[in-house]
This record gives sequence, C-alpha cells and structure tokens, in this order.
Amino acid sequence: MKNYKNKKSIVKRLAYAGLFVAISATVLQGCANLDPDPVEFNLPPESFASLTDFDKGITGIYSTLLSAAQWTTFYAASWAGDDITTHFASNKADFRQFDQRVVQSTNGRLLNNWNAIYNIVNTANSLLERSQGMENLDVDQDRLNILIGEVYFLRGMALFHATRVHGKIPIPLTAIPDPNIGLSEQVDVYLQIESDFMEAEMRLPDVYPGQEAGAPRPNKGSAKSLLARLYLDWAGFPVKDVSKYTSAATKAKEVIDNAALYQFELSANLEDLWKVANRFNNESVFTISYCGSCGFNTANLKDGILGLPSDFGGWQETFAEIRYFEDFPEGARKEATYRTDLDYTTFSDQKSPIFKKIAGPVDDLPAAAFITDRNDFYMRYAEVLLIYAEASGRSGASSADAWEALNMIRRRAEGLPYASADSSIDVTSGDLAELAFSERKWEFAGEYLRWFDLVRMEKVEEALIARDSPGAIQEHNEIQGSLGTSNYFSPVPQAIIDLNPNLGN
Amino acid sequence: MKKQFFEFLKKCFLSGLFFALLSMNSAIGQETISGTVTDNLGPVVGANILVKGSANGTQTDFDGNFSIQASPDDVLLISYIGYASQSIKVGGQKTINIVLAEDASLLDEVVVIGYGTSKKSDLTGAVSQVTAKSFENQPLTRVEDALQGRAAGVSVSGSGAPGAGIKVRVRGVNSITGNNDPLVVVDGVFGGDLRTINPNDIASIEVLKDASSLAIYGSRASNGVILVTTKKGAGKAKISFDHFVSISSQARSIETLGSGDFARQKNAGLIANGADPAYTEQQISALDANPINYEDQLFQTGIGTNTQLAVSGGKDNLRYFVSGNYVNQTGTVISNEYERFSLRSNINLDVTDKLSVGVNLYGSRESEVNNPDDFNRFKGSSILKTLTWDPTLPVQDSDGNFITSSNFANNGFNPIGTLLRSNRDRAADRLNTNINVGYKFTNHFKYSLVVGASTINQNIESFIRDDNPSDANPDHTRVAYTNFRNTSHQVSNILNYNNSFNKHNLDITGVYEFQGDRNTFNSYNTFAIATGGIYLADNEDQSRENFTNDGNQNAIQSYLGRVQYNYNNSLYLTGSMRIDESSRFAKGNRTGYFPSGAIAYSFNNLPFLENGTTLSSLKLRAGWGQVGNQNINSTARFSLTNDAGNYPFDGSTLVSGSTLTQVGNPDLTWETTSQTNIGVDIGFFSGRLNASVDYFKKTTEDLLLRTIIPGTSFAKFENAGVVDNQGIDFSLAGTIVQNDNFTWDSSFNLSYVTNEVTELVNDVDQILGNIRPVDGTENSINVIELGQPLGQFYGLTFLGTWKSTDVLPEGIQAGDAKYLTDEEGNSVFSTIGNGLPTLTWGFNNTFTYKNLSLNVFINAAHNFDVYNQVAAAINGGAGDFRDDLSPLSVNKWTPQNETDIPRRGSLNVLNSSRYVEDGSFVRLSNLKLGYTFDEVIKGIESLQVYVSGQNLLLLTDYTGYDPEVSSTPVNQDLNNTDAGAGIDIGAYPNPRTLTLGLKLQF
Repeated sequence: MKNYKNKKSIVKRLAYAGLFVAISATVLQGCANLDPDPVEFNLPPESFASLTDFDKGITGIYSTLLSAAQWTTFYAASWAGDDITTHFASNKADFRQFDQRVVQSTNGRLLNNWNAIYNIVNTANSLLERSQGMENLDVDQDRLNILIGEVYFLRGMALFHATRVHGKIPIPLTAIPDPNIGLSEQVDVYLQIESDFMEAEMRLPDVYPGQEAGAPRPNKGSAKSLLARLYLDWAGFPVKDVSKYTSAATKAKEVIDNAALYQFELSANLEDLWKVANRFNNESVFTISYCGSCGFNTANLKDGILGLPSDFGGWQETFAEIRYFEDFPEGARKEATYRTDLDYTTFSDQKSPIFKKIAGPVDDLPAAAFITDRNDFYMRYAEVLLIYAEASGRSGASSADAWEALNMIRRRAEGLPYASADSSIDVTSGDLAELAFSERKWEFAGEYLRWFDLVRMEKVEEALIARDSPGAIQEHNEIQGSLGTSNYFSPVPQAIIDLNPNLGN
Repeated sequence: MKKQFFEFLKKCFLSGLFFALLSMNSAIGQETISGTVTDNLGPVVGANILVKGSANGTQTDFDGNFSIQASPDDVLLISYIGYASQSIKVGGQKTINIVLAEDASLLDEVVVIGYGTSKKSDLTGAVSQVTAKSFENQPLTRVEDALQGRAAGVSVSGSGAPGAGIKVRVRGVNSITGNNDPLVVVDGVFGGDLRTINPNDIASIEVLKDASSLAIYGSRASNGVILVTTKKGAGKAKISFDHFVSISSQARSIETLGSGDFARQKNAGLIANGADPAYTEQQISALDANPINYEDQLFQTGIGTNTQLAVSGGKDNLRYFVSGNYVNQTGTVISNEYERFSLRSNINLDVTDKLSVGVNLYGSRESEVNNPDDFNRFKGSSILKTLTWDPTLPVQDSDGNFITSSNFANNGFNPIGTLLRSNRDRAADRLNTNINVGYKFTNHFKYSLVVGASTINQNIESFIRDDNPSDANPDHTRVAYTNFRNTSHQVSNILNYNNSFNKHNLDITGVYEFQGDRNTFNSYNTFAIATGGIYLADNEDQSRENFTNDGNQNAIQSYLGRVQYNYNNSLYLTGSMRIDESSRFAKGNRTGYFPSGAIAYSFNNLPFLENGTTLSSLKLRAGWGQVGNQNINSTARFSLTNDAGNYPFDGSTLVSGSTLTQVGNPDLTWETTSQTNIGVDIGFFSGRLNASVDYFKKTTEDLLLRTIIPGTSFAKFENAGVVDNQGIDFSLAGTIVQNDNFTWDSSFNLSYVTNEVTELVNDVDQILGNIRPVDGTENSINVIELGQPLGQFYGLTFLGTWKSTDVLPEGIQAGDAKYLTDEEGNSVFSTIGNGLPTLTWGFNNTFTYKNLSLNVFINAAHNFDVYNQVAAAINGGAGDFRDDLSPLSVNKWTPQNETDIPRRGSLNVLNSSRYVEDGSFVRLSNLKLGYTFDEVIKGIESLQVYVSGQNLLLLTDYTGYDPEVSSTPVNQDLNNTDAGAGIDIGAYPNPRTLTLGLKLQF
C-alpha cells in the first residue's frame, strides 16, 4: 500500500516536473518578437550605402535590359520594314500585325515590350533616387560619377527605343511615376533623351575599364553615337527639325575622330561579325551581352532556330523578304547577310529567304539552337559612319571625310579592305545623303533598323508598295493597313490605357 | 544582458503571472468526486452532473472529465441531451465513470467553440459542425472531402492530383490579395494544415462562421475558423481496423483532332498558302489506321490503398488514442505517386483531481513523385500541352529514342516524354506536439495551458528532363534541390470561470497567448548536366549553378476575454474582445481590437414548445463582431529587391544584380471585417428534424491589396478597397423514416452568397489581375472591378465572324473573328464572366435496412462561369499553340460556308468570351453500399464491408474536364486564387473513383 502510494507520488512528481519544464520552456521561448531584424533576410535599405550596392543596382538594370531584349519582342516593330517578314500562320500573328501594317492596341508583343522598357526606365529612376546623397559619402567620386552616367545612358536608350515604336510616350522621371502621367510631345521626348545621353556623355569614361570589346558597358563614344542616331531621327519625321542634321554629323564626327580612343573600328570581314566567336568586337558601339550557357534567363532567344524554316527544324519567326533579297547587290555583303547556301524556293512550308545574321553563319551555331550566346550589336560603328555621311549630305556639308565614311562601308561590302581607296568602288560625287541612305538599306538588312529609316524619311509607302517580287513566289503576308504617316507609329497598348486613360491614343 | 532580462520579464509578465497562479494551491478541502462520462464513441463533452436536490452542478470538460463536491449519501444526476439520463448514488466511490446510452430523441450536441465548448442549444453564433458520424460513411483520404457539401457556408475546391492543395472557403471571399484560407486550429493549436491530417483521427470539425463566434480569434479569423478536434480514448480498449482500395480514372475526355484529321487540316492550310503539303496520302492513311492519342498516354488508372489501425481506451486516470495510417496512391496522370504515413498518439492523464495533463503527438511523412502541378510552366500544364501536342508524332521513335519537339502544333517539349523521364520527389516530415495542462482551482475556476510546437521539414529533389542531350539544347536537363523548414510555436494561457446563481449562468474566459513561426529555405539548382543522375549533378560549369537562401519570421501576441451569460437557458448573451499585436505591421499600426457581441433567445421553456409535438424547439440568434486579417507576406511592409537579376557583362560570367521589386509601406495595417449575423434554429418532432437559417452581411475594409504601382512593375501593399459579402446559409437535418428495420437519415444544406467590390484604392474603377493567358502575352485575364464580384474574367467579347457581306474595317478579312469594339474601332477588353458560384448545396442521405446501408451524397454549385483556356489553346494560333486541334476546325469559316468559327490562319485571342462557359454542375459525389455483419467471429465487435463510388455522375454543360477545379495555384501570394476563380488552364480534374473497403472493430 505504501509502495503504491509512493508510486503515485512519483507519478505526481514527474507530472509536476513535466509541467514545470513545459512552463519554463514556454517562458524561456520568449514571448512574441514583434520586431524581426529587417535585414536578416536581405531587405534593402532605402538608399545605397556603398558603391558596391550601387554597382549591384546597375547590374540589376542591365538584367532588366536583357529581359527586355532577349526575345524578338524587343524588335517586333521592325517586322514592318521591307527587309523582314514572318510565317504566314502558326503563332506569329503578333508579328504579322506589324508586317501587314495593322497593329492592334491588343498586340501582345507591343504590351510586353512596353512593360519591359518601362521596367528599365523605372529601375533607372529608382537607382537615381537611391543614389542621391552619395556624393556626400566617403566613396570614390569618379567611380560614382561613372555609375550615374551609366544609369542615364540606359534610361535614355530605353526611352529612345520606345519612342521609335510609339512616337509620343510618357516620360516618368521619378521612381514612382505619376499614375495619371500623360504622353509627352515628340520634341519633349527627344529633349529628354538628349539630356540623358548628354549626362552620360559627360560622365562616362573614354573606355569603360575592365570590359570586353564592343562596349558592353557604355563609354563616352557610345553615348555620342546614340546621340548621333537621335539627331538623325529628330531631323526626320515627325519633328523634321533639319537643323539636327548638323548635330548628327557633328556628333558622329566626334566619334569618328576619337574612334581609337573609344576603341571602335570596322571589322575587316563582315561575315565574321556574326560568328559567336566574335560576339565581342570593336565594331559594336554598345553591346547587349548574353550568356546562353548560363541558362535560359540570360540567353539570347532571337536567333538560330527562330530564323530557320521547318525543313531544318526551324521555328520560322524571322524570315527575309523576297524582293529585298532579290534586289540585294551581289557580293560579300549579301553572302554575309543571307544564307544563300539554302535555296528558299525549295522549302516545303514557307518559301522565304533566310538571314544569316539571324540563323547564323553555316555551322557556327549548333543545329536547332534556340538558346544562344550571341550578343546584340545595339549600334554598330558602321552606322556612325553612315550617319556622318548622310547627315553631312543632308545638311549641305559633304566633306571629303563624309564621302570617305560612305566609301569605307562600300569597300567592305565588296569584300575589300575598307581603309584602302579603290576607284572602282568609291564614289565622290552625287547625292551623298541618298547614297548613304540606300547604303544603310543593304548594310543593316535584318538588323531591325530598316523600318525606322523608312519612317524618318517617310518612305514607308514607297518601299512597301514595291514589295512584290517579279518572280514566281510572292511575298506571303500582304499589306492590309494604311501606309500613310498616320499609321507609322504603334498605338499605346490597350492594357496600359485601361490603367491610365491619359495615355489614350 | 541585465537590461535584456528585464525587458524580457516585462514582456513575459503575464505568462509569469499565470505561472505564479498555477503554483498556488487551492485551499478548498471538501470531498471531491471525479470521473469521466463517455458514450460508445468516446468522452462526452458538456454532460451535466448535478447533485440531486441541490443547485450544485458541473459539466464535463472536453475530455469528458468532471469533478464535483458531494457526500456519500448524495445521488448524482448525469444528463446530456440526446442521451438517457442516469442517477448514481455516490456511496464510498471517489471516482465514478459513466457510460451514457443514446436517447431516441436526439436533440442536442456539444460544439467546440474558441477556447472552450458549448452546448449547441447555448450557441449564440453561427457554427457548422461536422462530426465523424457524418463522414464515416465515405472513404476519405483527405479532411477537406469531409467538409465538402456537409457544412452550410463552406465551399471546397481544388486540384484532382493526390496530395495537392485544396481550397476551402467560408462564406465567400473577402480578400483581394491576402490569403482567403480559413484558420485551422487543431486541438487548440493554430496553423494546422488540413491536407496533412488523417481524417480517421478526427472526432469533429467545427466551422465558425459569424463574427460573434470568430471574434475570439481576432486577427486571423476573417476567413472563418475551422476547429479540428481529434479523438480521445475512453472505456474498454477498442481496436479498429480500416482498409480500402480505390481505383481512379478520368471521368471525361476532351475531344481533339485525330492524327489523320490533323494531318489533313495541316496539309490544307499549307496548300492554301502556296506551301507544299507536309503529309503524303500514304502517311495519312497510316495515321488513320494507327492514330496516336496523347490524352490516353497522359492519363492512367490510379490505384490507392488506405490502411488505418487505431487503438483507444482508458483506465483509471489514463486515456489513450493511438492510431497509424498509411496511404498510397498512384495518380491518374502517369508517373505521379503519393504516399503518406502518419502516427498519432493522444494521451490524457489525470494527475490529481485538480491537475490533468494531455499530450497529443502527430507525426507524418508525405512523399510524392511527379506531382503534375509541379509541371505547370508559364505556357500551361502538362494537360494543356498534351491536348495541343502534334498527334502525328509518337512519343518515341522506332528505336526507342524520345521525340521531344515537333514542327507543328505545340511548340514546347513533348509532355509525355518529359513526365516519363523526369523524377521530382517531394518529401515532407511534420511533427506536431501539443501539451495541454488543466488545473482546477475550484469547480468553477480553472486554468488551462496549451503549448504547441510544430516543425515541417520539406525536401524536394527534382530532376526534369525535357529534351535529348543530342538536341543541342543546353536546357535539356534541370536539377534542383530545395530544403524548407518551418518551425512554429504557440503558448495559450486560458483562465475560465463558470458558475450558476439560481437561473443565472455565467462563463468568463480570459486568455493570454503568443505565437511565432520561422521559415527558412535554401536551394541549389543547375542544368545541362552531362551526367545522367540527380546525385551526380555537381555541375563542372559553375556558371550553371545557382544557390538561393531565404526566409522570414512572424510573431503575434494576443490578449482576449469573453463573457457568456444565460438566464434560465432562455436568454443568452455573449460578448468578447481580442487584442492582437502582429509583427507584420510597423509599430503604431500593429495593434488591432476585435470586439463582438451576440444575443439569442430560446423559446424552449415556453409552454407551447415544451408540450409541442410538431414544433419542439425554437431559438433566435443575432450577433455582430469584427475580425481581422493579416494574411500577407511577412515582408509586406518593407521595400524589397530581387537579387536574381543577373547580367553576363563578359558573356560567360553572371554578375548578380539587384532590382527594386517592392516599395515599402510603413502605414500598412489590419484588414477588418465587420459581420452581422441573424439566425434561427427550429426543431420539429421532438428534435427529429432540425433546421437552421442564417443571414449574414460582411463588410471588409482596409483590404490588404498587393497593387502594382501603375506604370511600373513595382509591387506595393496597400490598405485599399472594400468588399461586401452577404448571403444565407440554410441547413436541414433529420431522420425521415425510423422504424425497427429501416431508417433514413437525411441532411441538406444550401448557401447563397453574393459578393461585391464596393471601393477601390485611389478612386480607380478596376484593378487588372495578375493572371496571364498561356500564350505568353501580358494581357490580364482577370480583373477586380468596382461594383462587381471578385473573380471577374477579363477579355474581348466574341461576336462570331466577319462575313463577306460586312463592311470590313482596315486589316480585317472576311472570316476573321469579330470582337466588340469601341467607337474608334479598337477592340474592347472588359468583364466577360465570373468564376465565383453564388449558390452551392449538398444533399446527404443514409438509408439503413437491417444490416445494409446506402449513402448517397450529392453536391452542386450554380451561377458561375469557367474561363476555358484549355479550349482556347486547343484552337491554336497563339503563343506556343501553333495549330488548331479543335474538332470544330473542320467547320471553319470558308467563303462558301460562312460559319461563326473563324477562318483558318486568323488570329486567335485566348482571352475572349468565345471561351467562357457556364460552369454550373450537380455531382454525385459519393454512393456507398455497405453491409455490417454482427458477431461473425467471436471477439469481433463489428465488421463492415462496403463498395463505393465517388464522382460517378457529373451533370454540367461545361465542355472541359471539370468545372469545379481552379487552375490557379491554391496558395500563392501573387496570384490570388479568389480574384481568379474559375479559370481552367489545364487543371487536374477530380477523378472518378471506385472504392472497396472493410472496417473491423474488436
């Protein structure tokens, strides 16, 4: 009996002990911690504390540029040009709308591109805000200056890309934009882009230290080159401020005169330029870099298989137009531009020529490559030369240097050394501007630039009406919309207007 | 250090106080009789114990225990409504255990309410109760299935994949961005996951619906609270064994073009555009003779087994319930498997007459292989890919090599090849521990402590193979390891005072409680590994390797009080207040006050009811209260950057960048729902038939909304907008026929809810949702619109085709799809449907004839649409869906036959009203026939064998697999599932299941 009682009291004691432990544990767990450490899981401060943080933010804005540019969506508006077309069916309706000049405000590519571009702009604005006051910190001020210049460059570039597609666009300059922001007048858009590029021009170094060739991080020359491109547009449709031809020529000349300083030069062999091995080269004045082998998210997804017909397992997104191909002057440049080894008239599905610039030189890309390492040459030094030639011509200042700039391109197109004068190729008289303009047609075929040339010179109708080929095979996607200037620019996407009616077309 | 200690003491003052209280000994020294009241199912909660001829009485607690002061000469009257009363002379006994037998006239039950229990007849609020009795007739592997259609005001929907998340909603949906999942409280501990609980362990489930019952849970209660109570042992040891085998298959099929027809259509399209045909006549005849059906290759017959063994009983001062459960299922989608082991041990010990201790332990291991939901990519689920894949190519060529891509139809990888070669294992181990301690200072005053701690460790090992290495796609293999750990704790200190003074009955509860949880995860992933196996995936190319570490932490601290009073069991009053402080909000905004009040009047004491035969009980209830919601990311109030934005400056090395993704909002505060509820309970025929009707109106203010700052992609959490829900819950239950051989028990419940967004942030009239169509465009397919219910579909209005006789706008050809346009000719995106049903009902019947029983359970939902994005994708011409596979495509518009099916090659807009369908349905959810053998073998108390079928019949006009499934992820902060209900992007349908089982009891 006593034993039993003992047992019971042991149980009782154990239970009390257990209870004590439970309650102590409870108390010692320490009630509610209502203020967790906000940086334990990498939450950011509202402003940068170091250049390392800022640099990380700059890399972040490049990543938004990469996401915007890795798909053909970034250049979809360029399917309107007479150089590029797409498949007549399949899932290419969004591209066909551009190609056939019936761009709907509901076009999916238009919306995705709008969002991607403004993502760059907003990220740039947030960086500028978060870097405010850093000049008072004990940091390397030269480096700080360069980083700020880089942000301006990228913002200017994004706005420029958007206005070339849409014309009038909103210009948000704060990290959190005015929700009721409206469209800015075209001149104001150009002024803002000019101001951004000039900030960049002032702050960026002659050569960005520690980078590959082709300015994957922009230098002073990159900013000047894009300014030249901007002025050329500014002088044409729709603003037509012809005084800007002089500015374009001046800016281009500054780049040409300092090409060695900025490490820009023409590539000797045009064909080599589109080889993966040459994805970093001195001809590019600003390069968007990709790394396909690092994964899908950082890959270039515009080339290879997208430019091939189904006969070669291609996805048939980017084709060349027939008339343009047939008219293209024979020679080294045509060979570098098109896959002439493939006879498009024998393709079983869509019979359209193939861009070598897209599908890649023979055996350069792996078969059926969708994810590639190829870079975008956002602007080539060749364009700087041709801007100088054309703008000089249009501003009535056709100098010997301007003719030489044109002739360098002409010589290389024939497969000749571009620096050696060749009287059989060179031109020194005639309408320099028009010669340079048509040189651009061939030089930049398939590089998503032709459409914007047609727009600024109001040559859309002239070019597109003559699209049909004299041969047996007709162009696949017939023009359905207006070729007049009122149909030059793409509408603001409907989903954007739904959010902010002030952006209504 | 010292300062910290004092800080700590200050913080913990209250729990210290309780500790101090606990250590005091009660000074009352009378003779105490204690015992347990049980019935054949277990403890009886809330049974009345009265010393005959005195006002001295008490009630059993939740474990069926009671103790009362009495002398040996006294007679105890033990009564419980629904059971025959007993009187027992005390004599020399110190412990009296009583087994109650059911009374024929069932009238009342005990229901669990927050931090206590109540007799159903004493309720002032709206509570739906589902007891084991009502679902034991249906073989269940999931708790949510037990709720479906059995509790008025509760809707259940989800994916058909085994083990996948299921959406449970109580009385409509309030939040636009915040999570609308109800709070699950298991045996007093917050934060349970219904998915992981073994339904056989459950004694009852209570769903608290109205604010007066919810307010006690304050800030977590705005979506309703589901209280789960697990079984406890009592009496003679009992062993029950339960086993069933289920065979599941797809109930419906979606028709797409057969192999030969697809080839013919493809050829016709190519020829019309001047291209060469892709298939020869010979190839087409071969395809006609041996068609390839991808749907058949995706689905399979799933086999599942469920085995359960439980031992329960009680002796002296110890009671136990121990159970083990094993579930093994193969999914209806190839390569999908699911397995769950679980073990529960509920032990209760009366240490002394005053002190009781209980320990509930629950451990489970879930593992699954290739959950089809994990193969949902941004271009659609495996189902969607399967239905749109080229039906002229087999999965493997004649040499056994996988054919992973095609020139036609879906542009993605062959979904069958991916599933067959991938192995994605998820394993989750859970351990929930719950210690509860009760101490009675007096018969009227007691203290309870509930301490809960739980841990979840989850590991995912994923090896996905889409392509062949020879296909030169570096992305052909992807390997990921993810580890996730969640730890949470809760401590509740509950003081309760309960007493009666003449006809005045008073119950006062006070609680101090704190909770916290911490989640951390890390992951490693790589791709394009040269070696084949997952464990060899140490990629030599480090640029292909990624590591992520992340986590978050939350805490909440609460004080609450409740007073319940009734006069003569006629007039009932309840008032409560809860104060919550949450770490999710910044100081100054973090304290929320949640009051409630309710009144009820029972006419049962009035003569006309006391003697009534037809109308036997009547009670009116009314209540008002406020509850809150804090169900947002723990980081919602902070600015956030995403560090995943990498850039390869040199083309081969990724540099990690960061971009702003979320703008902080220190002003963020509670979302508050005010709810008014008016209800009536009526009993007929001495309680054989009971009906309840409740009307409610809920207004949710300061909606927690994750907005995208207009013109940016930055997120910001805001308190913005108001949503109203109002509706009626009706339930009717009773025994329709009852005689010696035959009984018919029936219950019917119905809910009608309407929902309206009455205010939105910054005076906007709509907010576009976050759900995108599967063609890769960024046009939202859902919208939140002022003056409309949540869950609106957004898209173009389809008006047939343009005819050759029409005046065609620029860029339009005859045969193109015609959409509603504005005056300027632009297509108009607008609301084109709604995915939230307004009317749902369930009808459950059990017929028993001698030893034979038949259960028929029907549930239904009406007045809602389904956005059939599967049909949209099958129509092709957008995104990855290059070709039209719809059987309707043979009737496409042609100049000769101007049908309303757009011409070949025209633009297909996925988000258009062409793909909105009526989703109303009536489903035969369960049909079960069982036979119970008495005394077949000596020692076996009962043996039941049964056969049942689930989802045998579905009546609906919906053309997809299942109108009840929602494709949007069940718990994802970004894509709120309720703002996008009814969108079918290839969700896994509920299978049709045939089950054979037996139940044994020793």
